Formats: sequence, structure tokens, C-alpha cells
Amino acid sequence: MAEDLILELKGITKIFPGVKALNKVHFQLRRGEVHALMGENGAGKSTFIKVITGVHAAEEGQMFLEGQEVHFKGPRDAQEAGIAAVYQHPTSYPTLSVTENIFMGHEDVKSGMIQWRNMNAEAQKLLDSLDADFKPTDEVGALTIAQQQMVEIAKALSTNAKIIILDEPTAALTANESEKLYEIVERLRDEGKSIIFISHRFEDMYRLATRVTVFRDSQYIGTYDVDGISNADLIKAMVGREITDMYPKEDIELGDEIFRVEGMTRTGYFKDVSFDVKAGEIIGLTGLVGAGRTETIESICGITRPDSGKVFLEGKELTIKEPVDAMKAGIILLPEDRQKQGLILSWGLGRNVTLPIQGELANNGFNDEKKERELAKQRLEEVDTKAVTIFQPASSLSGGNQQKVVVAKALAQSNMKVVIMDEPTKGIDVGAKKEIYEIMGQLAKKGYGIIMISSEMPEIIGMSDRIFVMCNGKVSGCLQRSEVTQERILELSMEKSDSKKGGAA
Amino acid sequence: MAGKSGREISAVPEGGIKSKLLSWEGALVLILIGVNILGVAISPNYNVNNVLREMPRYLAEIFMMFGMGYILVLGDIDISVGALVCLAGTVTVLSSNAGAPFIVAVIICLGVGLLGGMLNGFIATRFTELPTMIVTLGTQIIFRGIAEVLFETWGNGGGTASMADTKGLMLLAKKLGPFPIAFFCVIIVGVIMIVVLAKTTFGRKLYAIGSNKTAAYYAGIKVERIRFICYSLLGFLSGLCALFLLTATFGSNTTTGQGFEMEVIAMCVFGGIATTGGKGNLTGAFIAAFIIVCLRIALGQRNINTQVILVIIGLMLIISVLVPSISSAITARKKRA
Repeated sequence: MAEDLILELKGITKIFPGVKALNKVHFQLRRGEVHALMGENGAGKSTFIKVITGVHAAEEGQMFLEGQEVHFKGPRDAQEAGIAAVYQHPTSYPTLSVTENIFMGHEDVKSGMIQWRNMNAEAQKLLDSLDADFKPTDEVGALTIAQQQMVEIAKALSTNAKIIILDEPTAALTANESEKLYEIVERLRDEGKSIIFISHRFEDMYRLATRVTVFRDSQYIGTYDVDGISNADLIKAMVGREITDMYPKEDIELGDEIFRVEGMTRTGYFKDVSFDVKAGEIIGLTGLVGAGRTETIESICGITRPDSGKVFLEGKELTIKEPVDAMKAGIILLPEDRQKQGLILSWGLGRNVTLPIQGELANNGFNDEKKERELAKQRLEEVDTKAVTIFQPASSLSGGNQQKVVVAKALAQSNMKVVIMDEPTKGIDVGAKKEIYEIMGQLAKKGYGIIMISSEMPEIIGMSDRIFVMCNGKVSGCLQRSEVTQERILELSMEKSDSKKGGAA
Repeated sequence: MAGKSGREISAVPEGGIKSKLLSWEGALVLILIGVNILGVAISPNYNVNNVLREMPRYLAEIFMMFGMGYILVLGDIDISVGALVCLAGTVTVLSSNAGAPFIVAVIICLGVGLLGGMLNGFIATRFTELPTMIVTLGTQIIFRGIAEVLFETWGNGGGTASMADTKGLMLLAKKLGPFPIAFFCVIIVGVIMIVVLAKTTFGRKLYAIGSNKTAAYYAGIKVERIRFICYSLLGFLSGLCALFLLTATFGSNTTTGQGFEMEVIAMCVFGGIATTGGKGNLTGAFIAAFIIVCLRIALGQRNINTQVILVIIGLMLIISVLVPSISSAITARKKRA
């Protein structure tokens, strides 16, 4: 082993309540290399990074830095050991200056006084080395995302980091800004820094990395030389897995079109999105995080106002200005963030279930608590919620059971015609996932139109009759159940950048 | 699609007389009784008639407290209403002095309150990014500023305005038996406000908004409309407060209503309403209001300095908000043992 490894992780396992986020993963970083880390959403990349930077402590495994085993107790330890991370959305202090952000936590202090002049001069030097077009005294919040990332990189340099981790740095950047970032990364590499680069974009990997490590389902799949692996092989490594009978999708005679969206546009979020749903059909809406799926759905449901676009239910055009308009029409949204948007955590389960329909159950504006309790009990039992009473607070349940309460809340709305589920199984365990799929199947059987937004390929493929893929705010394609493969979805989700490169694959 | 595990979830509410007595409201009733015993013990003049005689000024505040309770349950705050009382009272006095019949003056008083509340509601719901504390700090200065301009221009000089024709006010200040009319009005308004908050869909929506505004919005609640209604209602009740305050003072001056907003917030918090929203009820606040009123009257009769009374009430307030954390600390310690 003549390899000069600066960082090595062996058998790292990280367990969150109910979920194994990392399962015995390995990783080797050579001194002075740019190493890409790839995988689907939820493959465990971010958790892995947080283990390296000391944010999470791993349950199992060893970590070696320059051959020495290390145990980080917190981010501070990792920072002192020379590891720095730059995130997609910089976690800086927006109201403070560039200098203050760069030196946050390691200010230049002499006898209790902060040495502003020295620090500003030092910051200017760092910015110059990065060819930055802003001043150390600028307020960080007023900078672009690309500039904020540069501040973070400058911060990493100011701590004399030997290992720099870039977590999806190009996701929010334009092509020009990305190019500039590539140049910076190349320069850092030439200066002897070792770099871990996480990205969804193949272009980033081909341009920068010499090796790529792939994670899938919290597991280590392999490390490959970028020169020696084809695009297709890499995609297969990222997504290839057996689909079992996890997805109880039955073939149902589809009814007439029940719901249609035409030309939905909200500038800066999504553009000209159209799709339709038939009675009994499950539509999958997928794409990478940030493709505009949730934003589109939120506009359809009246959470935000679109610039243009039409929504038809059973052939009739709807005017939706507020969430209540969509709900009254029978379009029910199960929001993405169940803890913030879907539930009132401090409330009992029963009250959560009946909140949208309390007016219908009430007598002249007075709550009919008895009717509410009975209905809530019935709906919560239907979805098999693991709860003792309908009065226990929603916060007392696990993620999967909280999601069931959200489903029960939707089911309680008897006028429901179309159900929109935004990431219905995010962060819940396999058992609860399957139960949610079963409920979806039953709803489809009853003739509801179902739209499922999901980033998880297996469930999109397993449950959908048709799949609409979004990329950069637009629908980039629609795939029938019969013709869908993970590779085709991934192709449609990614920007067509690899074709531009003239067949890098 | 019945649950396949056949698991049953209980829908039988817990409760009964025991949990009611152990609640904060139960404790407040005991404190109220205690304060009255204390009053009788320390002051020979502390009796029903005397307490009722001194009560009207405080009763006026209680109207405002009900509206403030709604605002606090929403998770908002409104510190402009003390100044609004001053403005409403001043406009009423001046319009009466300018020849408006009493009934018109009453309508003006309530109308000014309502409009002031609507202004707060408009700003708070149109510019949701502004903290309501700052919005109402701004309107507080505006309301009092306008009132002072009115004094200067049409008042009796020296920053006062007194009502020339007090016949109408005397009528409102009358008593039915030992009880002033205001007392019955407070009871009627209070019962309505308590029931609406506790028993209606409207009240439930306030708790939903105060507990999780985003989830409430996603559940189809018209959050901003309800906030607007609550600000307007508080404004209207502040007008009512101004009117009944006039039956005790027959005029207004630059300090009229000063600090009322804080006193009613104190009553609400003492009564168990959390300023962070979504918690507490007006029954508790109603009892708490009478505790504070009785305590002030009792200590006042002993000629205890007003400032000392304020210190005592401030201490009570802090202790009352500490009770939940103290009791949970005790339970935690018990569990460990």
C-alpha cells in the first residue's frame, strides 16, 4: 500500500432512531486528489459528511487522519484537525461582514481586542487568492450564493484546512459561476489540498474528480477511477437494486380524467408545468431536489400564487386563491414537512384529524366534540395508527405514525377527489412505508386521483401508473409504467449537460 | 379499509372533577378566595360594597383583557390599546362637548376603538414580516400623539379634556342593587368571549394559529383574516373600556389608559395564557383579573404605596409563570428518586 492516504474511514455505521443512515461504509481519500461522492437522495452522503466533520458521532467504525486514528467529539475537533466543509446553502451569518464570517470562532484577538485591521487585511489576501469580486467589509447576506460559497471556502483556507468538503456546491450556481468554482477547486488541489466533492451532476465529476465513490441505501457500493467508468455503469451503481413486492400496486381499470393542470408558471420556481390524472391513477412526480416539484404543487393547492396556469377538476376550471379553495373543491394536500405543515405537534391526534372539517361537524359554529372524537377515532384506526388515545399529542408519535395521522386527516375530508402526497414516506421506516403504499393502493381502487411527489426512485417506479419527471422547473418528460427504468428517470432528471460534452459517457 | 391490526384507539376523554380542581383555574379560584380573606384581615373597610365602589376603573380594563386574550392565544401581541383608550376617550369627550348627543358620543367612542383595532389588524396582516410588537408600538405612539394634538387644540388646557355634560355617563355609572352596570356588562361580555374561545370553531382556529401558523394555513384556515378580526375586536373592546373608564373619570388626560395594555397582558399571563400562543383560556384570565383587582383594592385600602403594590403584582406574575417549570422539575426529581 504505497497510497498516501490523508483520510480513511472504515466500517462506519450511523443509526438514527429507527433508521440505519450509514451501514458499514468505507472511504479513502488520497492526499491532493479531488474525490467525488455520489448517490441518490437519501443514500447517506450528507450523514457521512457529518460524521467526518464531527457533527454526528458514528456508532461503529474507525476514522484515520494521516494514519492516526481520531475520535471527533464535535465540529470543533474536526476543524482543528484541518477538515472544513462548504455546504450548498452556506450556513453563514448573513448580517455580519465577510471578514467576521471568515474568522468566526478564530478571531485575531490581542489583549481582549479584536484586531479588525489585521483581520480585514488577511481576509483580503484570502479573497484575492480566490479572485473574489467583493470586499471583506461587505455584508454576507447581500452576496450571491456563489460569493457566499467563496466566503466559506476562504473560511476553510483561513483555518488551514487540509481536507475541504464541498457538499453539492454547484446545485445553486449558474454555468459561469460553476466554471469559476471548478477553477478554484483545481487551484486548491494543485496547492496540495485534498477535496471531497458531492454532486448530482456528472459534469462536475468528469471535470474535477479522479476517483468517485458511490453510496446507495446507506451502503458503500464501490470506488471507481473516473477515467475507467462509463456513465451507464455509474448510474447502475447508484440506483441498481432489486424491487421486491414492497409496492402493492394493482392494475386498476382507470376512469376518466379527473384532474388536469395546464401551463402552471411561477417565475423563478417552475415554468409551463402541465399534467393530468385519471380516476384511480397514481401519478408520480419526481426529479432532483430543487427541480420545482413541491413549489408547483403548492401553487396548485393555493399555498402560493402562480403567475399563470389553469387547474381543472372533473373538466371544470377551478379558481384557487387560498388553501381552503382547493380543499373545498376536493383537492387534498399531504404536505412535505409533516411536523411543520401537516400537524400541530402539541395538539392531540384527534384534533389534528378534524381540524380541516371542524366547521362541517359543528352545530351553528359550536364544536361538536363528540362527533369529532368518533370520527377521529374511526379514521385513525383505519390507517392503523399506533396510538393509545386520540388525545395524546402528535409529538409523541414516531415519524411513520405521524404520517398516518396526516393521512387520516386527509381521509376525514369526505369530499376528497384528488390526493396529493408530497414525499409521503420521507424519513419513515420500511414497515410504515409499506403501510402508506397500501393505503395509496386502496385509495386508487376507490377511484381517487393520486399524485405522489417523491425523490425515491423505487417507490416512484413501484407505485406510479405514469411518471412525470421535472428538471429545473420544467416537466422534462412523462414515462408510462411499462417503459420506465431508473436510468431513464435519472436521465430526464439531470440537466442535459453530458450530451453537451460530446459523449463523455 | 379498517386497520388490519385491529388495534383500538381510545376516544374517551380523561377528566372529571379531580383534574378540574388540580388545574391552574382551580388554583386561581383558591388564590382569589385567599386574596379576599387577606383583604378582610388587613383592612377593616374591605367589604363587598367598598370593593364594588372602587371597582369600575378596573372593570373597564377587564373588557380590554378579553380581547387581549384572543390576541395572545394567536401568538401575537398588541401594546397600542392603552393609547387607543386615551384616543377614544378624548374624541368622545370632545365630540360631546361640541354638542353631540350622548348616544352619538357612545357610538363614536366604540367606533374610534374599532377603527384603531382595524388599523392594527390591517398593518399586522398586510405586512406579516413585521413583528406585531413593533407594529403596535408604532400605532401606540400615533394614537397617543393624535390624542395630545386634540387636547392642545380643543381641550381644557394642561393636557386634559373634561366632559361638560355628564348626564349620560352618570346613567352608565348607575348601580343595580350593589353592583354597577359595568359589572354586569363585564360578566356578559366575558361569558360570550370565554364560550366563543372555548367552544366554537372560531376559537379552535385561534388555538390552531397560535400553535402552528403554517399547519393552520395548510389546513385551510384563513389565518390573516382571523388575525384581522381579532385585532378589530380588541380595538372595539378598548373602545368599550374607554367608555366605562369615562364613567369613573368624566374626562381624559395625557396619562389616560397608560400601562393598561401591560396590566391586561399581566392578567392574561397570570391566568395561564402563554404569550407564545396556543395555550391557556379566558376563564383563567377572568379569575386572575379579579385576583389582581381585589389585591389592589385591599392593599390600597391599607394605604400601601401604589409602587409597592406594583412590585407585589410583578412578583406574583413571575411566580405564576414559573409554576409549570417548578412543578415539572419536582416531578422530574421524583422520577429520578
